[in-house]
Formats: sequence, C-alpha cells, structure tokens
Amino acid sequence: MSADSKVTGLWLAFRSGAVAADLRTIGYRLSAALVLCVVLAFASDAFLHSNNLLNVLRQASLLFLLASGLTLVILTAGLDLSVGANVGLSACIAATVIKSSGSVLLGSAAGVGCGLAIGLANGLMVAVMRLPPFIATYGMLWVAHGITYWYMAGTTVYGFPQSFRALGSGYFLGVPIPVYMMFGFLALGTFFAQRTTYGQEIYAIGANREAARLSGVPVARRLILVYAVSGAMAGLASIVFLARMNSAEGDIGEGLTLPAIAAALIGGTSLFGGVGTVSGTLIGALILTLVLNGMNLLTINASWQPMVTGIIVILAVLLDTFARKRGEARN
Amino acid sequence: MKKSQFCLAAAITVLAASAHADGEKVAFFTKNLTNPFFQVVRLGADSAAKQMNASVQHYVPTKPDSIPEQMSQIEDVIVKKPDAIVFTPVDYKAMVAGVSKMNAAGIPVVNVTDRSESGNFVAFVGANDFNLGLETARFMLKAMGGKGNVVIIEGVKASLTNIDRVRGFKQALGEFPNAKLVASQPGNYQRIQALQVMENLMQSFPQIDGVLAANDAMATGVIEAMDAANRKALVIGINGTKEAIDAIKAGKMLATGEYAAFEQGCVSTMAALRHLRKLPVVKEVVFPASVVHKGNYQPYDIPADKRSCPKWEDVVK
Repeated sequence: MSADSKVTGLWLAFRSGAVAADLRTIGYRLSAALVLCVVLAFASDAFLHSNNLLNVLRQASLLFLLASGLTLVILTAGLDLSVGANVGLSACIAATVIKSSGSVLLGSAAGVGCGLAIGLANGLMVAVMRLPPFIATYGMLWVAHGITYWYMAGTTVYGFPQSFRALGSGYFLGVPIPVYMMFGFLALGTFFAQRTTYGQEIYAIGANREAARLSGVPVARRLILVYAVSGAMAGLASIVFLARMNSAEGDIGEGLTLPAIAAALIGGTSLFGGVGTVSGTLIGALILTLVLNGMNLLTINASWQPMVTGIIVILAVLLDTFARKRGEARN
Repeated sequence: MKKSQFCLAAAITVLAASAHADGEKVAFFTKNLTNPFFQVVRLGADSAAKQMNASVQHYVPTKPDSIPEQMSQIEDVIVKKPDAIVFTPVDYKAMVAGVSKMNAAGIPVVNVTDRSESGNFVAFVGANDFNLGLETARFMLKAMGGKGNVVIIEGVKASLTNIDRVRGFKQALGEFPNAKLVASQPGNYQRIQALQVMENLMQSFPQIDGVLAANDAMATGVIEAMDAANRKALVIGINGTKEAIDAIKAGKMLATGEYAAFEQGCVSTMAALRHLRKLPVVKEVVFPASVVHKGNYQPYDIPADKRSCPKWEDVVK
C-alpha cells in the first residue's frame, strides 16, 4: 500500500501541471459555448427562455451520458467505437424484457447489464488480447449491430409504462430528470478521475503506458475498467433513450458514436491520451446541442445544417488553439 | 461509422421458411434489416411465393443500405443462377451497374419500391412518394380547416423518397393559402432526431397546428415531444407502420400514408413468377396513395404475418 501511495504521489505531482492546462482548456471551451449562447440570444427571442435552456440541457444529457464513459477510455489513449451499437442492442434488450416481464427494474437491469457485458468484452480484447482499441471496438460495433438486427428482425417495440417513461421525459422540481443524471454523473466522473487513485492511474496510462506499468500501475485491470465503464454508461444511456422515445427499433444507435467522440474531443480530451476532463466533455456536449437547437430555432435550411455544424465545431476549437499560440508567443 | 469504407461483413442470407423445393427460385433484394417497412415487404414476398409454390431467398446488406455489399450480393446471386430476381436498389443511381450485370446474365428482374435509374426490368412495382406526400398533407390541411401553422420534418436530405414526399407536402401547402409553413427541418428519418427538433421548434413557435413528418418513426417522435410539453397538433406520417396505426387508433396521430409494403412484396414476386410461367404481366404497378385514418384503419390493422396477398387481377384492374 505504501508503494502504491508513493506512485500516486509521483503522478499527482506530474498531474498538477496538466491540471492547470486542462483548466485553461475548459475555460476556453466554456467561453466558446458562452459566445454561442450570446449570439443565439440576439438571433432568437426564444433562446433565453428557461424552457428552451432546460430543453438544451435535456438534449445534451443523452449525449453526455454516452460521452462521459467514453472520455475515460480516450484518456487512456484508447477509443470505443461501439458505444452507438451498444446503445442500440441494450435498448432493444431492455425494451423486450420490459414488454415480456412487465418489470421496469428487470428491463433496465438487462439493458445496463448488456452494456456492461459489451464493455467488458471490449476491455478484455484491448487489455488481455492486446488488440488495438480501434479494431476491437470496431469489430464489436458490427457484432452488436448484427445481434440487434437479428434480434429485432425489423420490428419496433413500443409503449412503455408511464413510470418508466418519466426517467426520460419526466420532471422533478421543474427540471427534467435526465438533467439530474447528467450533473450526478458529472460530479461522480470528475471525482473519480481527479480525486481517486484509479483516476490518476488512468491519466498515467494515457500519458505514458510503459512508464505507468513500470511505476506499478495495474494497466490491464485499469483498461478493462474504463471499457467496462464506457459500456455500462452506454447501457444506462440506452435506458434514458428508451424512456424518452417510448420505443425501440434496430437502428436506434445509428449515428450516436461520432457525436459522442466529438463531444469528448471538443471538450478538450486528446486522442493521444492523458489529457482531458469529464467536465470538458459536458461543455463539448453542450456546444453540439446548442448548434442544433440554434439552427432549429432560426429554422436554417436543412441543406445547410451539416455545414453550419461543421464550421461552428471547428471555430469552437480554433479559439483555444489561437489563444494558446498567442500565449506561447508572449512567453 | 455508417459511411466507413470498410466492408467487413459478408452477405447475409435469410432463407424463407416456406415453399416447395421443386418450384422456381426467386432471389429477393431489399435495402436493410432495420427498417420495419422492408421486413413487411419480405413477408409479402414469402406469402406470394408460398401461394404460388415457389421459393424466395432474401438478400439484405448487413450494413444498412451498403452499396458495395449489395454489389457483391448481386455477384453471388448471378453465380447461383436463380430463375428470377426481385430487386430494390440501395441507391437508385449507384446500383445501375449491378442491374446491368443481372441483365447481362439473362436473369429476368422485377424492380420493387425504389425505381432504378435505368436497366431492363420485367416490371416496376412500387408506390408514388410524391402522391403520398400530397394526399396525406391535403388530408391534414383539410382537417385543420385549411388554416394554421404547419411544420415539416424532413427525412434524409438526399434520399429519393424524402425529396418526393417533401415535394408533395409543399404542393399541398400551396393549395391552402391560409396555412403557413413556419419551418421545414431535418429529422433524417430518425425518431430521436425528430423528437429533439420538435422540442426546439416548440420554443420558437408557440402555436403549431399541424406537423407533416416524412415517415412514421419521425411522426411518433414528434408526438412524444408534444405530449411531454402538453401541447397538441395534428400529426401525419408516411409508411403505414403498425406503430402509426396504433397511434391513429389511440387518437394521437391523425393519419399515415399507406406505402403498401406487404402488397409491394406480394405483387413484385407474383410479377416475377408470372413472367416465368408466361402469364401476362403489366409493366408498371404503382399503388394508389391511400390515407389511413381513424375512419378506415381496420383493414390495415392486421399483423403482416397474418395477411394474405391480393389477387393479381384485383391489383392490375
């Protein structure tokens, strides 16, 4: 235990510089989000209305739940391409279990369990079989899609109990329930990453895997942990998706993976590992959601929407890069 | 990852569990395993084959709407030499090369659902997306008394079905000068996207009286969003899915455009078999755009696996 704490102390010292950099990044990305808000507030009367802001938070919460687990994976210089497909399979399994058993609890457990199982399989492939994360999770993407298509056979399962749907569309004290989940997992994720030995070891693996191994970090076990967490978060997101949409079909997870990866990267997490925060990912998810919300409020022509999204994402990150360059030049 | 150039999965084949081994063999191509519409098309094909003592083998890309995968499936099928092919191109332009291969191999081909840009076909069997858009929108606008604020939720921007359906919606809107199109936004045929787009639009527009969604999944997404916000509007979709019929029954959805999935599967298979048996075949079967609503939903409310194919004479009269 004493050797462990020595190692941790070492990494904490290493992290103190990195934490300052992470905080600066969060600052810049947050200002980008705020600039976007100010522009939208002037462009649309409806934007600043509390209903709309809650609406944005609720939409961002789905993306954040998915992206937060993924952030831990990317911190280890890994990648999880299977999160979208995972949501699809987990949601379909949860939906059919709720339908056949009538038990919301059993169905939700089946959905999260399915997500966790997929995550564990990813982790074993990456940590034990030493497959590159891209290949392992890309393969898993197809396996999960295949099982979903076979399992659902082109059918749609719909109509769930009101008590379950409240999880996705309900309110508590005027705030949508998924928003509480988002902030809950933000706090949990931030505590885990910044304040626990596990978290510090994950940063260490991403910064320099070999050095981490030599310092006594149990690399394989930590890798399995992050992929399992990512899978379980996808499972949880699938439950919120299901509760929100009140229906599940085979293609439910299509098009969710890239936005989730983008949310983490826009939030300042580096694909090279070791750099990034869960709170940054929240800002990333908010920026992506704000863009869509703004385009809808301003009813921008459907043809232009992909291009506008692309430009704003690039601008949001450029702000940071420019500021850094100027900072370096001054020094 | 949808657009990834990797083509990992090999062809998947779903063997129809019906029909005699000594009958003609028909290879049936559909676009994906995810859209409930094609599931019902396949059931229609199986039903027709059973009725006519033939067998159907289905070819579906594992990666939805994958052009390279459908191309390699065509190559596989040509080697197997079925008696006839019924074909939905995953892309109406890109698959023309595949159609040429089937034509060159001398296998008769019936085109179903999505009309191929060119090629030699025994017949085309499908629905008219423009008319479906036009008729469903007219139905809703009449129910609105010809006035009010209308929102369109579009499907996938580049897809032929979406282009035609939205064109139909807009033509109908032109016929009702007192109805105002306040927004036309993309939902990409996805339920969750339509739901979120609707949540956003409700913030901008305190009064929305009617929503024209380019498919049923988006229409139900719109209804979920409006229910959660305690708002009401007339909503129509297109495809005639089971889910939409249930929503119509429950009074949550106004109407859906019947895309005649089961009939498309039936009649395309029948056309292929009739051609092989030297029976007369018409070059073109386009199902009329019928609007399913509270007053007429009963015949559409039968599960697809319990339906039976219409008589050829009734379809081509």
